[in-house]
Amino acid sequence: MSYQIYQTDKAGLAQFYENIIGKNETYAPVLNFEKYEYKKVSKLADCNPESPIVLTMSMKPLFFPKNSAILKYKESSEGTEIIPDAEDDLAKKRVVLGVKHCDARALQVLDKVYQWDYHDEDYRKRRENTLIISTRCEKAGAHCFCTSLDYDVENSDAYDVMVVKAADGNYYLQAHTDKGDAFLKENTGKLAANDGIEKIKEQYTAFAASFALKMNYEEVSKRLNEQFDSSEFENATSNCISCNTCSFICPTCHCFKISDEKIKDKGIRYKAYDSCNSPYFTLMAGGHNPRPVKYRRWRQRAMHKFVYYKERFDVNLCVGCGKCAISCPVNIHIFDVVNQVANKA
Amino acid sequence: MNYTKQIQEIATRLFSENKIDVFVGYRKNTYGDNQVPVLINSAEEVSKLMMDEKSSFNLTNYLKYEHTRNKRVGLIVKGCDSRALNLLITENQVKRENLYIIGICCEGVVDEKGEIAGNCTECVMPNAVVYDELLGSPQPVREYKPNAEVIELAAKSLEERAATFEEIFSNCIRCNACRHSCPMCYCAKCCIDQETSALFNGANTLPNATHALLTWSLHLAGRCVDCRNCEKACPMHLPLHLLHKQNEMVIYENFQQHLSGIEEKDPGAFYKYSLNDPDDFIM
Repeated sequence: MSYQIYQTDKAGLAQFYENIIGKNETYAPVLNFEKYEYKKVSKLADCNPESPIVLTMSMKPLFFPKNSAILKYKESSEGTEIIPDAEDDLAKKRVVLGVKHCDARALQVLDKVYQWDYHDEDYRKRRENTLIISTRCEKAGAHCFCTSLDYDVENSDAYDVMVVKAADGNYYLQAHTDKGDAFLKENTGKLAANDGIEKIKEQYTAFAASFALKMNYEEVSKRLNEQFDSSEFENATSNCISCNTCSFICPTCHCFKISDEKIKDKGIRYKAYDSCNSPYFTLMAGGHNPRPVKYRRWRQRAMHKFVYYKERFDVNLCVGCGKCAISCPVNIHIFDVVNQVANKA
Repeated sequence: MNYTKQIQEIATRLFSENKIDVFVGYRKNTYGDNQVPVLINSAEEVSKLMMDEKSSFNLTNYLKYEHTRNKRVGLIVKGCDSRALNLLITENQVKRENLYIIGICCEGVVDEKGEIAGNCTECVMPNAVVYDELLGSPQPVREYKPNAEVIELAAKSLEERAATFEEIFSNCIRCNACRHSCPMCYCAKCCIDQETSALFNGANTLPNATHALLTWSLHLAGRCVDCRNCEKACPMHLPLHLLHKQNEMVIYENFQQHLSGIEEKDPGAFYKYSLNDPDDFIM
């Protein structure tokens, strides 16, 4: 099903964004410590919906924050009383601007695991109440390889509205879901553009041609599965320092740890990020650790991204955003690791 | 500053004379500008090695991992890296006789933007202090000057200082990359990983992040060599040097102008007793 396309210029787009920010609770990339993070904004000047992909962190914290209290209780002589949750700020009706398509795809991937055997209600509410306005990247970053994976970057329904800056300098707004279509109808007074679809295609072709990293996904995934015992895992990751940044900033890494904190008669149970690259991740009571060395941890990370998740949910866990390599202090790229292992004869 | 050729020659020689099992150096980064650490196990791989002003990572960090433990290691150290190495030897973490050290007289490294790195502008020891072989001509040793940002911060009111650090700590995601990238952090079980202790837990609340980062920085007081591996590793780009430079200044002023790792067999400021140590806080 194709939706109406709207055309506007730079000033018109700014007006469109400004309207959204005025009317809705809006999150957008905000510069913070020399990089962009998705934060609540009150005016367009505070944020940059066209933030460069290499400097933009994922919007995972808007759905899976770095720390959340999942249980609060109070003990008294009568017993233990559960304190009801305060209103979840992230579950309000909201719009996110300037989302990169890989980041939006990451949510589709996460939906599978969050709505699997256990249904995460917090996540579901946050997800349902969020409208995603994506900005198509003009050019691929040096680390990007999203077009090589198992999803359709061009016609994805991971985001509701896509903003495309065409070669002619105009902006084209296209809905990719019913929700986005209704939103655009309500929020744009501009005339529809008849030639929009060609302009959008043209821009995508130029964007798709700018990728330096390409791989044969099916082949790599299949080969990887056969290479579980390959010594290449060790060679490819020997300079890893097990620092965990890759999984903490990954838009699809979703492992967490539970910690209890109790002060006098009140207690809180927290959920916070964890990482399979940490030596403590698989450490068991009694001291046994099935993944005591880093190549085994890396193997788990690579196989989970490219093999196990695909087997279970039929989507690839890695979305090809390259954020792990950008943040890695020693620049190990999961793209290189999986290719090196898969291409080993 | 380009020592690629010399380092390849030395590494080839070391492997052919069977003096080392593994060589820790830099290779070209295919994605960005900064060179990436690489571990090499044979003379065939030597052509990967390179070394120039973009080789900024402190390689002594690799001495704690399984690839180098109890092996004969060749590695490259710049001035700051060699200070860390000196301390690791003093603290009995590595055996000097297991190492073949290529020292560099460092003219300063550049960051990802191509500008001279912050720590290099205030470097007190650009030349390697411990080495088997020294490359380059010795650079002038500079006098210690406290960090300008730290002095500026120290002049502010308590509230302003608290707000600055609160902003840093509240942005921390507690990935602990700062600790993992630090060559001086080698504890088998770090105190901030004690998930079930009364003092620490895994939650990422502001008090927890504050506690973890302050504890970490205090454990490095008098031991930090200002290589800024922690800042290079931090995915949130937090200015962690503020913590370390503050400690460094206090220690320099109070403990006989101590600068960590410059002298051989010199333990950290907190590990040695001197009659001149300040005791005015006791009585």
